[in-house]
Amino acid sequence: MAKENTAAVSSEKEITEEEQAPKKKIKKNADLLPSKKEKMTVGQIILLALLFLFTVFCFAPVILVFIAAFTDEIYITQHGFSFFPEKWSMDGMNAVFKYGKQLFTSYAVTIFVTVTGTLLGLLIMSMYAYSISRKGFRLSKFLSIYLLIPMLFNGGQLSGYIIFTSVYHLKDSLLLLILPLCVTTMNVIILRTYIANSIPQELMEAAKIDGAGEYRTFFSITLPLLKPALAAVGFMMATAYWNDWQNALLYIDTNSKKPLQLLLVNIQKSIQFLLNNNNVPASARAAMGGAIPQNSATMATVIVVIGPIMIAYPFFQKYFIKGLTVGSVKG
Amino acid sequence: MKEFMHNTWKHRAHVVLALPAFLVLLFIMYVPMTGLVLAFKNFDSRLGIYGSPFCGLDNFKFLIASKATFLSITGNTLFYYVIFTAIGTFLNVALAVAIDQCIFKKSTKVMQTLMIIPVFISYAAVQFIVYAFISKDTGLINNMLGTSTSFYTNKKLWPAILTVVKIWKDTGYGSVLYMSVLAGIDTELYEAAEIDGANRWQKIWHITLPALIPMITVMLLLSVGNIMRSDTGLFYQVTRDSGVLYDTTQVIDSYVLHSIFKNSNFGFTAATSFFQSIIGLLLMLFANWTVKKIEPDNALF
Repeated sequence: MAKENTAAVSSEKEITEEEQAPKKKIKKNADLLPSKKEKMTVGQIILLALLFLFTVFCFAPVILVFIAAFTDEIYITQHGFSFFPEKWSMDGMNAVFKYGKQLFTSYAVTIFVTVTGTLLGLLIMSMYAYSISRKGFRLSKFLSIYLLIPMLFNGGQLSGYIIFTSVYHLKDSLLLLILPLCVTTMNVIILRTYIANSIPQELMEAAKIDGAGEYRTFFSITLPLLKPALAAVGFMMATAYWNDWQNALLYIDTNSKKPLQLLLVNIQKSIQFLLNNNNVPASARAAMGGAIPQNSATMATVIVVIGPIMIAYPFFQKYFIKGLTVGSVKG
Repeated sequence: MKEFMHNTWKHRAHVVLALPAFLVLLFIMYVPMTGLVLAFKNFDSRLGIYGSPFCGLDNFKFLIASKATFLSITGNTLFYYVIFTAIGTFLNVALAVAIDQCIFKKSTKVMQTLMIIPVFISYAAVQFIVYAFISKDTGLINNMLGTSTSFYTNKKLWPAILTVVKIWKDTGYGSVLYMSVLAGIDTELYEAAEIDGANRWQKIWHITLPALIPMITVMLLLSVGNIMRSDTGLFYQVTRDSGVLYDTTQVIDSYVLHSIFKNSNFGFTAATSFFQSIIGLLLMLFANWTVKKIEPDNALF
């Protein structure tokens, strides 16, 4: 393969350059297909095929969820899950909408927690990041260490659980879905790095000379300029909130406060209950009637839960890649 | 001291700005640290965490007495750390290099987008997807192979299953960081190598990989600090916390979660948590110290 690759070598660097060049748009058509100089060697084809296979490996399970959600339930019980079912049906989706009120409530809880948590977190973390990046502020050294310690050492799940429930008495409170994910050391570091490296200090000083107070400087100069970093951190936070099942499972009991992820966990628990209790009397089964989760209905629920992130992600992709990169470099 | 107070007063606006996050950290991270004292107490839920009587090292004796469980969960935690880190690092780097080398940039961009998607699916949802593949009667794998393997009761299969799930979920995302390093390589280096007659493999071997080594080192060392912590969702959700599989799938974090729900063995669990936190701290300090020696810019503190 080595020999074949030498042919493509000469133009390889140009591709890389094109990738980084700001005038990429002009050359849009140029990198759509290999240029004339670019040889489509066998090596390149093999490489592309391998990457394609890996993509299939990553994405096929997601497709299976969608297919299974629209597969006829009887077909699944008889023939199993399949990428090419012979019988389709909307029953799964209909069953999900039959959960009706609970699904609606859970959606509202998840959205509320995600939005509140992300906005609150972004605000207080950037305030903290701004204040520890100020020069001449002697306390900032202590505040930086104070920020780092939780990364090195923490009480673990058990102490957290006991303190939150029996000292703060916050069991079954939405605060426990919001606060634990609200401030994370890594995110504050990303924001601080961005403030230190990508926002001109002169701007903030100029604002001060023009008579803006500290708060005004932060809210009308720093915060707007922080947008790219906020988008990156915000998307990662929103995903973490959306996907958080552990805190919900630990702390939330009331139906009206159950987020979507807990709904998924509960579905799995009730399936297991049915599997483990074959001797549940028929009458009891009948009574549970609509609540018995079926395969296609479960998959439809999964779609409803992961859907919004799938849709939002492509829009945030470039920001969060940037965020990852910024986070890896210490300021 | 007086000067320090003066400085703080002068910067009182910054103190105010830092205060909300300071308080959240205090109540969410710092106060629970005091909960570790539970390892030395005989917990009584009526007396609460601070009112419960001290019992010296009894909990640790208990830990040694039931060392089979302790060794099993610690062993599993370490085992999966090693497997996931070794395979994960290799695949992340391989994928980053492959995407970087591929000349079909438009296609790779789309493929990369699709590869990253699994990382955004919660384990609560992932376990249903895994179920669709490995369930005994309706699973895709049994279906296609015409077998009837009972995956959920065969503990020997689980190290492989969990590894595949982990690769599926994290590889696309994990390669992003390495790709950003590759994008930063000076193209003149490649040009120079070309003039010297290097072929593609030689360039990968002598330019691309060496450029990645600092990042690989840093990521590995930083992960050392988290040896004792696992991806709880993977071990708790994907295995459905099934007792039959504990021998090969239960790690410290999922054990602790399990015992919180079952309200059992708090003494043992507290001792294990204490051990976990202390080892975590020591490893983190060690990792940071080593990173500082090798690549000072990437040290955490």
